[in-house]
Amino acid sequence: MSTHAAQPVAVRTHGVDMFFGDGETKVTALKQADFEANRGELIMLVGPSGCGKTTLLSVIAGTLTPQTGTVEVFGQRLDGLSQEELTTFRRKHLGFVFQSFNLIPTLSVLENVMVPLLIQGASHDVAVTKARAMLEKVGLKGREYGQPNALSGGQQQRVAIARALVHEPSLLICDEPTSALDKDTGAQIMQMVRDLSRSPERCVVVVTHDHRIFRFADRIAEMEDGRIRRVVEDASLLDTNQL
Amino acid sequence: MYRLALNMLFGDRAKLAMLLCGLAFSALLMAQQTSVFFGIMSWTYTPVYNIRAPIWVSDPMVEQANDAKPMRDTDLYRVRSVDGVAWAAPLHTSFLQARMQDGNFKLITMVGIDADTFAGAPAVLSQGLIEDLRLPNTVIVDEWGAQLMGRVTKGPDGKDVVIPLKVGDTFEVNDLEARIVGICKVRRAFTGGPFVYTTYDRTKLYTLGARRTLSFMLVEPQAGVDPDKLCARIEADTGLKAWTSDTVIWTWSDRSLARNTFWWFWKNTGIPFSFGTAVALGLFVGIAVSGQTFYSFVLENLKYFAAIKAMGAGMGVIARMLLIQALTAGLLGFGLGVGMAQAIGRAMIEKGMPPFIMFPQIFWATLALVLGISLVSAIIGIIKVSRVDAATVFRG
Ligand SMILES: Nc1ncnc2c1ncn2[C@@H]1O[C@H](COP(=O)(O)OP(=O)(O)OP(=O)(O)O)[C@@H](O)[C@H]1O
Ligand SMILES: [Mg+2]
Repeated sequence: MSTHAAQPVAVRTHGVDMFFGDGETKVTALKQADFEANRGELIMLVGPSGCGKTTLLSVIAGTLTPQTGTVEVFGQRLDGLSQEELTTFRRKHLGFVFQSFNLIPTLSVLENVMVPLLIQGASHDVAVTKARAMLEKVGLKGREYGQPNALSGGQQQRVAIARALVHEPSLLICDEPTSALDKDTGAQIMQMVRDLSRSPERCVVVVTHDHRIFRFADRIAEMEDGRIRRVVEDASLLDTNQL
Repeated sequence: MYRLALNMLFGDRAKLAMLLCGLAFSALLMAQQTSVFFGIMSWTYTPVYNIRAPIWVSDPMVEQANDAKPMRDTDLYRVRSVDGVAWAAPLHTSFLQARMQDGNFKLITMVGIDADTFAGAPAVLSQGLIEDLRLPNTVIVDEWGAQLMGRVTKGPDGKDVVIPLKVGDTFEVNDLEARIVGICKVRRAFTGGPFVYTTYDRTKLYTLGARRTLSFMLVEPQAGVDPDKLCARIEADTGLKAWTSDTVIWTWSDRSLARNTFWWFWKNTGIPFSFGTAVALGLFVGIAVSGQTFYSFVLENLKYFAAIKAMGAGMGVIARMLLIQALTAGLLGFGLGVGMAQAIGRAMIEKGMPPFIMFPQIFWATLALVLGISLVSAIIGIIKVSRVDAATVFRG
């Protein structure tokens, strides 16, 4: 349960099997998936559509519980935790950036960023202060009271990142964070995420198809048919045609 | 978080307006239909309402207030001699034809009241004096009757204008003159025509000397005597039937004339059925519309709730958020709907048609229904969020 700064591994899955449905309709999404991410690292998960990237991300995030295998995040074993314990774990340690941003359109930008703090039980005033500061960091000062839909795609994703980081989670999970963005905005966002990963208390896992952002990764894990095929440090080693 | 739940609800004005319209419309429909229904049904016991007396005594065969089975005048003395009776006054009611000046006939409900006590006299006169009823051949007509029996002439623009009856006008009942000395404000009845009040003794003339004219007796108990107990004593001593005049139709009271009248009409006429279908339809449409609107609101927000859940909000928090949204929307929709129903009801009462009575029970039942619908939608939403797949969060 305790965190050892000496141990470099932030996320580790071992022998994870995940299948959906049963009988005729049974789909195996993960087959003996072994995955590791280090502290202070930004690691990317790549692979063809349907290979299990999102599923693996969900397993690491504790939103899906695999049928077999072990999952460990910052020294905490997730397999065997109850739904309630998983919820508490996510609340404390996780930040999410979704492909479709998932900003609540009826709330202001500021309120959207406040959500993780309020979920953690912060008071309204504390949440306002912290969310404001976070929005300033991502360069959205002055847009606090606007509606998310009034912002550009890049700005919306920055709001999403502010929301993912406002409660200082140790593990940041991003699924296709740049797919809705143009090249420059995507690079901007990734630079921000990469800077954030530079701490022994942090780890960032990014699922992506977007080879334009591969250069921001410390390592890239290539998936195929529900398992990690190989891990490379240089994107040029990947067969990008397959992705 | 709960503040944000409300902001989520109020954030989209257009959707909120839709949601509230749906809820308000169904609340309106439910309250409106039932209120009109009970308004019409309450007309059945109008006599009890208009003729205010603590106790009514009738022939034992009488089942409801519009049903007159005349007794002998001597029965009055028997009732007066019952222990605890302060006074007992005779009352006559009958349906008669009034012949107007222009030769037209109109159905009227003649009410004969005791000339000494004026027991059962209308409470409010908009013209004239009740005492003038002691003058020969005099009557008091209700406002509806004054209109209904008024003279129709052509106005300057060629349209029909009704000149309502006023004090001094006359008509005939069974070839006997009836001179109007007052116009009264009373509630309309379900059966019969407008009310024409005269004295009890004179009704014998207007009914061409009917052998029995004593339809009811109005009884006042002596101070400190319980009306219910006195009713029982009157029945035991005289063999007649005694009723209390409370107009509460909800509580179980076998002696309430109003209640018995209400339920007699309920059982013996097609009104509850024909109107009941309209009410049921209103309820059904209301439930469907408000359920559907709130449910679609929940569905639209499902993916955001799923995201909030992924971010670590427990189901308890999410459930409470949805409940707060549902109950707030439900309350607002209810307020708007019932407010509109009241406004429409008021406007209809001004015109006198159709009657509209929003019993507190209708108010609370509508509230319960609207909140119930919101609650059920919220619960369905909660179940949906609790089952939502992690994959949907990432796919969005
Ligand atoms: N909830 C589910 N129910 C049934 N099958 C599922 C579910 N989620 C994922 N799958 C299946 O599991 C496999 C892996 O899906 P996953 O979403 O992890 O792929 P992916 O690598 O993220 O693909 P993409 O690049 O298209 O996002 C697919 O065959 C998919 O159809
Ligand atoms: Mg995916």
